[in-house]
Amino acid sequence: MSDFVREHLLSVLVFLPTAGAAVLLLFPRTLEREAKIFGLAIAAAVAFLSLPLWWRFDVLQKGFQFREQVPWIPPLGISYSLGLDGISLVLVLLTTILTPIALLFSLSHVEKEVRGFSIAFLVLETGMLGSLVALDLALFYVFWEVMLVPMYFIIGIWGGARRIYAAMKFFLFTMAGSLLMFLAILYIAIRHHSATGAWSFAFEDLYRLSFSGRIETLLFVAFALAFAIKVPVFPLHTWLPDAHTEAPTAGSIILAGVLLKLGVYGYLRFALPLFPEAAMRYAPWLGILGIIGVIYGALVAYPQPDMKRLVAYSSVSHLGLVVMGIGAFTTMSLQGSILQMVNHGLSTGALFLLVGVLYERRHTREIDAYGGIAGIVPVTTALFLIATLSSIGLPGLNGFVGEFLILIGAWASPHRGWAIAAATGVILSAVYMLTLVMRVFWNPLKNDENKKLTDIRPSELVAAGLLIVLMLWIGTRPNDVLDRIRTSVESLQETVSTKRLALAEKGSARP
Amino acid sequence: MTESFVQFTREDLAAIAPETALAVAGCVILLLEAFAPKLRRWFASIALLGVAASLYFLAHAPFGASFGGRLETSTLTLLVGLFLGGCAALAILVAKPYLERSGEEKGEFYALLLWGHLGVSLMTRGLDLLIIFIGLETLSLAFYVLAAFFRGVEASSEAGLKYFLTGAFGSAFTIYGVALLFGASGSSRLEALTRPGLAQSPAVAFGLLLLLVGFGFKMSLAPFHAWAPDVYQGMPTPAVLYLSVAPKGASLLVLYRVFSAVFSSGMPDRFRTAIAALAILSMTLGNVVALAQRDIKRLLAYSGIAHMGYVTIALAVFGREALAAVIIYFFAYLVSNAGAFAAVSALYRDETKAHPLALLAGEGRRARFASAVLALCFFSLAGIPATAGFIGKFFVFKAALEQGLYALALIGIANSLVSIGYYLKVVYVLYMREPVDAQGPPPLAPADGLALALCAIGIVALGIFPTDLMQVARRAAEVLPLAGP
Repeated sequence: MSDFVREHLLSVLVFLPTAGAAVLLLFPRTLEREAKIFGLAIAAAVAFLSLPLWWRFDVLQKGFQFREQVPWIPPLGISYSLGLDGISLVLVLLTTILTPIALLFSLSHVEKEVRGFSIAFLVLETGMLGSLVALDLALFYVFWEVMLVPMYFIIGIWGGARRIYAAMKFFLFTMAGSLLMFLAILYIAIRHHSATGAWSFAFEDLYRLSFSGRIETLLFVAFALAFAIKVPVFPLHTWLPDAHTEAPTAGSIILAGVLLKLGVYGYLRFALPLFPEAAMRYAPWLGILGIIGVIYGALVAYPQPDMKRLVAYSSVSHLGLVVMGIGAFTTMSLQGSILQMVNHGLSTGALFLLVGVLYERRHTREIDAYGGIAGIVPVTTALFLIATLSSIGLPGLNGFVGEFLILIGAWASPHRGWAIAAATGVILSAVYMLTLVMRVFWNPLKNDENKKLTDIRPSELVAAGLLIVLMLWIGTRPNDVLDRIRTSVESLQETVSTKRLALAEKGSARP
Repeated sequence: MTESFVQFTREDLAAIAPETALAVAGCVILLLEAFAPKLRRWFASIALLGVAASLYFLAHAPFGASFGGRLETSTLTLLVGLFLGGCAALAILVAKPYLERSGEEKGEFYALLLWGHLGVSLMTRGLDLLIIFIGLETLSLAFYVLAAFFRGVEASSEAGLKYFLTGAFGSAFTIYGVALLFGASGSSRLEALTRPGLAQSPAVAFGLLLLLVGFGFKMSLAPFHAWAPDVYQGMPTPAVLYLSVAPKGASLLVLYRVFSAVFSSGMPDRFRTAIAALAILSMTLGNVVALAQRDIKRLLAYSGIAHMGYVTIALAVFGREALAAVIIYFFAYLVSNAGAFAAVSALYRDETKAHPLALLAGEGRRARFASAVLALCFFSLAGIPATAGFIGKFFVFKAALEQGLYALALIGIANSLVSIGYYLKVVYVLYMREPVDAQGPPPLAPADGLALALCAIGIVALGIFPTDLMQVARRAAEVLPLAGP
C-alpha cells in the first residue's frame, strides 16, 4: 500500500479529496459536525501526504519529477500525465496547506448545508491540484474547468448578500477566457497531428511545434487571456472584488490563496514555452499592465469602506507586482514572482481569515463599525498586525523577500523604470494596510457592541497560527523555497531562449 | 422495374424483425387495454420488453442491405439503434410514474410511443427515400396524437394542432424534395443518387435543399423551430423526452446519408455555406432566446434548438470524422437532455400545467437526487469538462477546426458562453433560492430514480471514458461513402 502511494503520490494527492467527497455523499444528513470533521481530516491527510514531496524533490534535477503516465484516450494521444517541477511544487504545497486551514476555520462557522460545503471544497482541491500537476493539455483543461463548478456553489450558496451576482460573474468571466483557450488547445493538437501524423496533447510534444507569427500571436492571446482573467490582470479584474467580497471566508482564502495563482502558473507553464516569440513580444505589455494593476489596486483599496473589499483590491495590487516580475523575465524577478505568489497566499489567506474572525462575531465588514478593539481582542489584533506586516513587505517576514527580488530583478532587466513605478505600489500598500489596522484596531472605541467582542477561538488560532509560522519561516529562510524554484526557472528561461533562437534561425534561413 | 415489395426472403424478415417487434408490442398493449384493462400496470414493462426485443433482433439481423437494397443493417444502424432504443427505454421508464400521477395511464401512450419509435428506426435504416419518408410519417402521426394526449387540457390540444400543422408543412417539403430527387435520378433508391453528374443537376440541388428544410423542421433547426417551445410545453414530458432527442438524431443521420450519396467527392461550398448559416442561426437564436425563458420546458426547447445548431456544424464539415462526431454528440445529448426531462418529470407535481422555473426554487434541498441530476445534466449541456456534453462539443469543434472552419468554431464557442447564462440560472434557482412551493415535488418514483441514475452514470462515464464510444462511432461512420478524415 505504502509503495503504491509512494509511486503514485501525485495521483493520490489529486484524487484523495474527490474520494473523500464521494464518501461524504453517503453520510447521513444528520451527521453535520462529523461531515465537517471528515472533510477536514481528508484535507489534512492530503496536506500530510504532500509533505514528502518537499523532501523527495530533487533540487538540481531539470524537468518534471514524480512522473506518472497512463494512456487515457489513446486514439487522440491524450494521456493521464502528471509531473511536478519547482514551480508547481511550491504551489501544490500552498494548496494542500491552505485547504485544511480554510476548512479548519469553517469548522465553527458554517451552519448551512455543511455536507455540501465539505464536498465542494474537496472537489475544488482536486481541480486545483490537478491543474498544477497535469502535463497533458487536455487533462489540464479538464481540471482547470472543473474548478469552476465547486467555486460557483461555494460563492453562490454560502456567500454574502450579493453572492448570486458575484458567483455568476466569476463563472462567466473565467469561462469566457478558457473557452478561447480550449479552441487554441484543439488547434495546436491538430497542427501537431498534421505535422507529425500522430495525435498528442502532451505538453512535451506540443511545445516542439513552432507557429508562424500571426497564428502564434492569436494562439498566445487565447491562452494569455484565459490566464490573465484568472490572475486577474488589469483591466480584466472586475470579477475579483465581487467574488472575494461575497465568498464565504474559506472561499476567499482559497480564491486569493490558490485560484489566482493558477493564472500565473498557467502562463508560466504553458503560454510561455508554447509561444515564446509572442510571449516575449508582449512581455512589455504584461509588465505595464502589471504596474497599472499595482498602482490602481492600491489606489482603489485605500478608500474602500469594506474590509474584505479592501483586502480584495490589495490582491489586485500584489498580483500586479507578480505579473510585472514575469514581464521583466529575469531569473531573479521570476523567482521573486513565484515566491511572492506563495507569500501572497499566506498573507492574504491570513488577512481574509482574520477578517472572517471579526465578521463572524459582528456580522459586518464595515471598517467604520469597528475601531479601538485592540484591547478587547488582543490576540486577533496581534495576528492581524503580523499578517499586515507580511503583506506590506516588512523585512524578516516573507513578503519582503518576494517583493525585493521582483524589484531588483526588474531593475536588472531592460525596463529599469518598472522597478521604480512598482516600488510606489509597495509604499502605497503600507499606507492602505496600516490605515486599515489603525481604523479597525486602534482609534477610539466608539461602538458599544464592540465591547462584547470575544477573542479568537482555538480552532481559528491554530488556522491563523499555522500561516504565521509559515510567514516567519519563509521570511527568515527564504532559500529553502528559492532553491527549489531556481532550477525550474532557469530551465524555463533556457527553453524560451533556445526555442526563440531556433525560430530566428529558421526565419533567417527562409528566403 | 420487376422487383417488388411483395416478394421477400427469410433474410428480409429477419432484417425487419426489430420494427416488427415494436409494432407487435404496440398492438399487444392496445389489445390488452381493450380486453384486460386490469393488466394496465404491466404496460410499461411490455413496452420495455418490446424495445429490448427490437434491439435483440437488430443485433441478430444479417448485415447488409435487404428488401432489394432498401433497408440497411450495419455497424452504423446498430449503433444508432442502440441510441434510439436507449432513448425509447428512458421515455418509457419516465412515462410510467408520470402517467400514474396524472391519472391518465392509458395503453395508447405506450403504443403510440412504440410506433413512433418504429418510424424513427425505419428512417435511420432506410436506403430508399420512400422508406425514409414512411418512417418520418409514422413518427409524425404517432407524435401528433401524443402531443394532444391530455385531451381536456387546452395547452395540450394546442400543442397537438401546432405540431400537426407545422409537421404537415415540413412533410410537404420533404416529399417534394423526394419527388425532385426521384425525377432527377429515376429511382427513389439512394444508390441511384450516386450516379456521377447528378451532383451538378439543379433538380438535385433543389431537392436536397427541400430535404434540408423538411428534416430541419423535425430537428427544430432555426428558422424551422417555431413549433418546438409550444409543443414541448403542451406535450406529456416523457413524450417530449423522446421527441427532443431521437427524431432529431435520426433526421441528421438521414441528411448525412442523402448528402453522402450525392456528394461522394465532397460537399460543394454553396451547400456548406447554407448549412453553416443554419447552424449559426440555430445556435445563436436558441441560446439568446433561451436566456429569457421562465418555463423549464420552453427553456429546454430553446436549448435543444441551440444544440441542433452545434451539431449541424458537423454536417457542414461533412466527412467521416465529422459523422463520428455527430454520433458521439447525440449519445452525449441523449444522456444529458433525456436526464433533464426525466428530472423535470420527477420534479413537477401538476403534469398538465405549465412548468415555471420559479417552482423549482430551493428544490436542491428537498428533492436532492432529482435536483442533483438536473444540475449535472445542465452542466453537461453547457459543456463543462468531465461530462458527456463536453466530449460531444470537443469532437464537433475538433472536426470544424480540422476542416478549417475557424469562424464556425469561434461562433460555436461564443454561443457556449451565452448558454451558460441560462443553464446556471436553473442551477441557481435549484440551490440558491428559498422554496416557494409549499407542497414540494412528488416523492421520487423508483422508475424515475432509475432513469435519472442511468443518465447521471452515462454523463459521467462518457465524460471521463469516451474512448470506446469514439472507436465504435468511427467504425460506424465508415459505413457511409464519406471522405476521410
